[in-house]
Amino acid sequence: MKKQIKYIVSFCLGLVMVTSCKRELLSPIPQTSITDATAFDTPARIANQVNSLYAAFKTGNFYGGRAQVAGDIRAEDFLNETTNLVTGADVWQLNATGTSQNFVKNLWAAAYSTINLCNLFIDGMAAKGTSVVGATLSNNYLGEASLVRAASYLKLLEHYARPFADGNGSKPGVPLRLTGIKASGSSDLARSTVAEVYTQIIKDLDFAEANLPLTYSTPALNTTRAHKNTAIALKTRVYMAMQDYTKVITEGNKLAPQATAPFSATTGVAHALQANIATVFASPYTTTESILSMPMTSTAGDNPGTQNQLGYYFVQNGSSLGSAEFSLNPSGILGNASWTATDARKTALVFTNATNSKKFVAKYKTGSPYTDYAPVIRYSEVLLNLAEALARTNAGVNAKALALLNAVRQRSDAATILAPADQAALINAILLERRIELLGEGLRNFDLMRLLQTIPAKGTITAKAPTEQGYIWPISADELSLNKLMTDN
Amino acid sequence: MRKQLLLLSGFVLCSIIALAQRTITGKITDDKGSPVANASVVIKGTNTGTSSKVDGSYSLTVPANAKALVFSSVNMNTVERPLGTSDVVDASLTINAVEIQEVVVTGYGTQRKKEVSGNIATVKGAKLANNPVQSFEQALAGRATGVQITVPNGVLNTPPVFRIRGTNSISLSSYPLIVVDGVPSPTGDFSSTSAAGNALASINPNDIESIDIAKDAAATAIYGSRAANGVVFITTKKGKPGKAKVSFNTTASWTSPYGIPEVLNAQQYTDYKNAAAANNQNVNSTNPAGSGYTKFALANDANGNPIDTKWADYVYRTGFSQDYNMNVSGGNDNTTYYFSAGFSDQQGILKKNDFIRKNILFNVDSRVNNFLTVGGKISYSNELNQAASSSGSLSGEAFGTAGFGRTVMVNAPNVSPYNNDGTYNISPNNVVGPMNNSLAQVGFYNPVVLLDNNRQNAETNHMQSFVYAQIKPVKWFAFKSIYAIDYLFVDNETFLTPLHGDGFASTGSASSTLGKYKRWTWTNTGQFDYTFASRHTVNALIGTEQDRRTSVGFGLNRQTLSDPAFTVLQAGWVTPNTSGLVYGENYLLSEFGRFNYDFDKKYYLTGNIRKDEYSAFASKASTFWGAGAGWEIAKENFWDKLGLNDIFNSFRIRGSYGKVGNTAGIGDYVIYSSYGSGLYGGNSTLAFNFAGNPNLQWETSTKIDVGVNFSMFKDKLQIEATRYYNDIKDLILNVPQSPSAGVPNAIPTNVGSMYNKGWEFGITGNPLRGKNFSWTSTLNITTNTNEVTALAPGLTEILSATSGLETVSRTAVGYSLGYLWLVKNGGVDPATGSRILLNKAGAPVLYRFAPNAALGQFQWSNPDGTQYKENGVAATVTQAKDGVMYGNTSPKVFGGWDNTFRYKNFDLNVLLTYQFGFYVYYGSNAGLHDQRFWNNAKDVLTAWKKPGDVTTVPRPVYLDNVSNGSGLPMSYNAFKGDFVKVKNVTLSYNLPTKFTSKGKISSARIFVSGQNLAIITDYPGPDPEVSSNGNGNTNQGIDRNTIANGRTILVGLNLSF
Repeated sequence: MKKQIKYIVSFCLGLVMVTSCKRELLSPIPQTSITDATAFDTPARIANQVNSLYAAFKTGNFYGGRAQVAGDIRAEDFLNETTNLVTGADVWQLNATGTSQNFVKNLWAAAYSTINLCNLFIDGMAAKGTSVVGATLSNNYLGEASLVRAASYLKLLEHYARPFADGNGSKPGVPLRLTGIKASGSSDLARSTVAEVYTQIIKDLDFAEANLPLTYSTPALNTTRAHKNTAIALKTRVYMAMQDYTKVITEGNKLAPQATAPFSATTGVAHALQANIATVFASPYTTTESILSMPMTSTAGDNPGTQNQLGYYFVQNGSSLGSAEFSLNPSGILGNASWTATDARKTALVFTNATNSKKFVAKYKTGSPYTDYAPVIRYSEVLLNLAEALARTNAGVNAKALALLNAVRQRSDAATILAPADQAALINAILLERRIELLGEGLRNFDLMRLLQTIPAKGTITAKAPTEQGYIWPISADELSLNKLMTDN
Repeated sequence: MRKQLLLLSGFVLCSIIALAQRTITGKITDDKGSPVANASVVIKGTNTGTSSKVDGSYSLTVPANAKALVFSSVNMNTVERPLGTSDVVDASLTINAVEIQEVVVTGYGTQRKKEVSGNIATVKGAKLANNPVQSFEQALAGRATGVQITVPNGVLNTPPVFRIRGTNSISLSSYPLIVVDGVPSPTGDFSSTSAAGNALASINPNDIESIDIAKDAAATAIYGSRAANGVVFITTKKGKPGKAKVSFNTTASWTSPYGIPEVLNAQQYTDYKNAAAANNQNVNSTNPAGSGYTKFALANDANGNPIDTKWADYVYRTGFSQDYNMNVSGGNDNTTYYFSAGFSDQQGILKKNDFIRKNILFNVDSRVNNFLTVGGKISYSNELNQAASSSGSLSGEAFGTAGFGRTVMVNAPNVSPYNNDGTYNISPNNVVGPMNNSLAQVGFYNPVVLLDNNRQNAETNHMQSFVYAQIKPVKWFAFKSIYAIDYLFVDNETFLTPLHGDGFASTGSASSTLGKYKRWTWTNTGQFDYTFASRHTVNALIGTEQDRRTSVGFGLNRQTLSDPAFTVLQAGWVTPNTSGLVYGENYLLSEFGRFNYDFDKKYYLTGNIRKDEYSAFASKASTFWGAGAGWEIAKENFWDKLGLNDIFNSFRIRGSYGKVGNTAGIGDYVIYSSYGSGLYGGNSTLAFNFAGNPNLQWETSTKIDVGVNFSMFKDKLQIEATRYYNDIKDLILNVPQSPSAGVPNAIPTNVGSMYNKGWEFGITGNPLRGKNFSWTSTLNITTNTNEVTALAPGLTEILSATSGLETVSRTAVGYSLGYLWLVKNGGVDPATGSRILLNKAGAPVLYRFAPNAALGQFQWSNPDGTQYKENGVAATVTQAKDGVMYGNTSPKVFGGWDNTFRYKNFDLNVLLTYQFGFYVYYGSNAGLHDQRFWNNAKDVLTAWKKPGDVTTVPRPVYLDNVSNGSGLPMSYNAFKGDFVKVKNVTLSYNLPTKFTSKGKISSARIFVSGQNLAIITDYPGPDPEVSSNGNGNTNQGIDRNTIANGRTILVGLNLSF
């Protein structure tokens, strides 16, 4: 009996100690993501990463919606219909603070998150990716990464740094980050000057122009992925910001070499104005006029998300049109006599709410989940950039500048032929045309900033001179708190 | 069962029939003379016996050689009576001095309470039963030392803020580990809708026998890496040998809201807002003040009467709840069982906020033979958590425009939820229609539309079951193997109408997601119990445990309703999208051991050790331990000689020390840096989306605990006093990188440290103990001091926002967690009516909204009216620059005072709970004084009107959202939260046996109780017991748009057969 007990006890003890455990469960492998070490292992993963750079660029807090919204609502052409801070009431009132989450903090974070992805991609291609996909494709991809990075820095400069015109770029710009960050320890970085950041932007866009493909296989890809002409087009905008009009002309002429209308790009993607501007903003959104647009689908995560959508801000925040966050200011461009009632941009792209007679930009009319593409740059902007550069650098009324201006005007308003009397009138006409043509595409604030103009009064909000606090945004409070080398505006 | 008993007794009878025998009868009573049913009567030295009937009588046939009978019953002293010549033997059993037999659960076993060196508080299940709560923890407030419970809001089934000895983590969970019948249980809110779904609601409070709360290292270290927040052992009821006992419990209760902030009526609102508009020269430039400016205007209803809407009346209600519970328990000497079924249908104070639970529980234990015992448990619970829409009270909801708590405060009273034609009053821009007000917006959503049309439900199916076998080959050794499952399936279902509200923008939205949280646990233990040389008692435990959890979730979200008649996901919709995708797995592999030794029941030693290997970490294993010692001085001879025995019948000194860990809430894959998938225009993407930390490790807590427990005057007075100290190191902080670094997440890193220390006092006494009248009282007091001692290098603060929008909680070195960080106020300037703020230097700065530059006014000015400047430059007061660390949010003292008065058959229980020494940020108060279209609290009627007015409410200027603290968090809205609550009062009456016995009822009790009957506090909001951020560690003490707790009146009946 004693022996038996001993056996039983040892058996039980043995059971306790060697209970069959499953040690392999201690090292689970993530099933829904790819580990860091293998992200550049296959051509498909690399191709997907290229898409992710654009996907970051098009998040709702950036070029999926809020970047354009911020560019419009700071200026005078819109009135705030709600007093909602989440949808930019403070941005509109020109009193957004550094702790303001919805635009000041989020746009800063979204831009840098895009930049870091570009940097990680560029680093990863050098380390491994190029050998996986080959030099040619690698350079195409690197061109895309450079372009996305450049466009992101450009938007950052517009809101968080003094315009280039203020001291020729000598004022504090933004931290210039060019290497990918995956771990702690890189929080601190001082601001480069505005000029230094612009230099990098130009460098990136030059690289992109040199390495991007001329075209892609489909109109959709030509609209949503960067190609050579995308880089050129963006350069016209960058040089406008730097007031380097000679360079604008050089780049602009690459895309509109003709002396008179019709204008079109003769190499690469054949960018040209569409006969009817409404088609540019209608499905499939992939005309040659749209040089770069952010594509949207109804799949969750592939559209801007709640309270970020252009349509939500400008025309409808529900099923009925005319219920948006921002209406058109009757004393803004809407009330300008030069914008005729028969202009297609007014008849087709402005919506009137029958109940309260308020008017709204109707470029983005597709309701929830808001799948209208978000424009980044259009051919008509390039034409107007070129026109303005020509107008500013040539005395009198420059013929090509006027031709470019009228090409844009007459496409939508055939009855009107603009005929400014002198250089100043020509420049003003071009600036006015930009407000009409690019309304709701986020360019108005850019135009005010680059020219160091006062932000005009609107509704209950007083004007903001370039010397006043709040002319540009403050720096994100999070950045100031976590980046010891950062300084506020 | 009865049949078996019959058979069994038949067998017993047969086996002894051959011997000479006689039949003994008698009656068993307690010390009051009441009959004791189900008492056991056994012939001494045999297993032969019977149990008493309802009237206490018994009858037992005994052999001639039987010498004595042994009488025993649960919770009563065992009595032995010699058998003489008489055939009638009565016995009187006295109730045990409670703790002699009292055992506590210590993890993988039990121990006599007196022998425990660790710090374990016990709460009897009876204290928690028949309460108007959804889960037991809600009723735990004030019941045990060291335990702080805050019921955060009045939404049904919200997990309470549950803290043992302070908040012990920053980024991970501070919720204690809950172990139900030996098996760890999930905790937290498993609902992803606006109806809260506390996982612990699956345990019917009526099924709980006892709760043991382990606090120090000696008591908790057996749970190693999960013990830092304390361990709560739940023991469900089991059957007792004897005749089957049936209990039936039912309650009905009515819960009503209290403390809803009083807002202006329609006339007051209209006048006040017009005056405010007149004060804003920007909106009023065309209609100067005093010229009959009417931005706001009354409207009439269909009968021509002015509309005066009390929005709260449309949202709140008196909720009616009913609860039924039936259980059957019993068994014989070898097998016992407990079967229970419960049904609870509860209504919250918010319309359509309901909780319906159906649950069953079956416990069985069977001794197969002299060395094998098997048993198990089957528990199934179905809970339906229902809400129409967001209450604004759950974590993350505070600033939602749908939140009912908020809309009733904000919406203008001069508009109605209905138009005069009976249709909903809603405007095209998705807010309540402005009616005669000449504004586009005078409110948020129309709550009536949401109440009528929306749905936010979460249905939980929760199975908690196990099977075990125990082999006890010798007296001193037992081997036990338990295999348990815990399957929690939650089905979230929402519908948002396209008419109005959150579903408006998407033209309707419906979601269904299923979350499957499965766990199995297999535990094997060997237990040694040995006493040698009669005075040395050793017991030791060794064991292994595997704990495997998987979580899988998936679902569908569909938007743009194709037909207004549809309200379910399966109907016609335009957009299908995935929703609620979850995938996770983890595995904990452990080996553990315990060693207890005592010498002569005088000196006690205990040691626990556990090695845990956890899948979420790269370096898998770590070892945790705890050791304790106790000394029962009252057993020493000198104690007796000193004559102290007459005063102190027990006097124990104990202490413990050890190191335990915390992993609760850590992600399954945090060590990996990874790339995740997304979409770009329909094409797949792959982007760096998580920066992991391969060096991540457990948070560790070093706990010290020293205390005394003593009993005086024969246990009439029992006192415990404990000093505790918990030093937490390697706190995992999600260290944020500067946004310009572009890293997708704050990187989890073991960097922080903090401590919690304090005292615990528990005093239990029977000041009065008479035959007819008695008073038992337990007072418990816990103090806690929390201080963060280190954050990450370069990280000076952790700012924690409320619902991502309002940041008033700042965690910094040298302060307790989540300190209020506010700009200080200096009242209202009598000359101008401007809000006075104090800058960093303490100098007053006046704020004027919409200043008139032409009159030389400035937005920010010095008291003399000149522009406020810093370093010669025009400046503003900001929180970042001028905010100060204003006050702590974690209470410094908390506890409860529990009193039971008994007079004859009446019982009166009164529980007071209290928390002292903390601040609450009453964010709702900022909203209640916002000068946009928002409705305001009544006190705005005392606002500044003319120079010289001394008031606390500044001059109203339409659109001003700074002076009230919305745009700039200020101390004006921070209040001391100290409170004493009459948490529970229960009066019960036990029906006399002469009535009950007629109905063959062994006992009947009727009772009436009230909950949250009164609060003594200076806090101006509805209830200082509140948390807008749920169980958040670093953002407690915020009351922002929250639905407060309700007040409940309950009647109930308990019957036993």
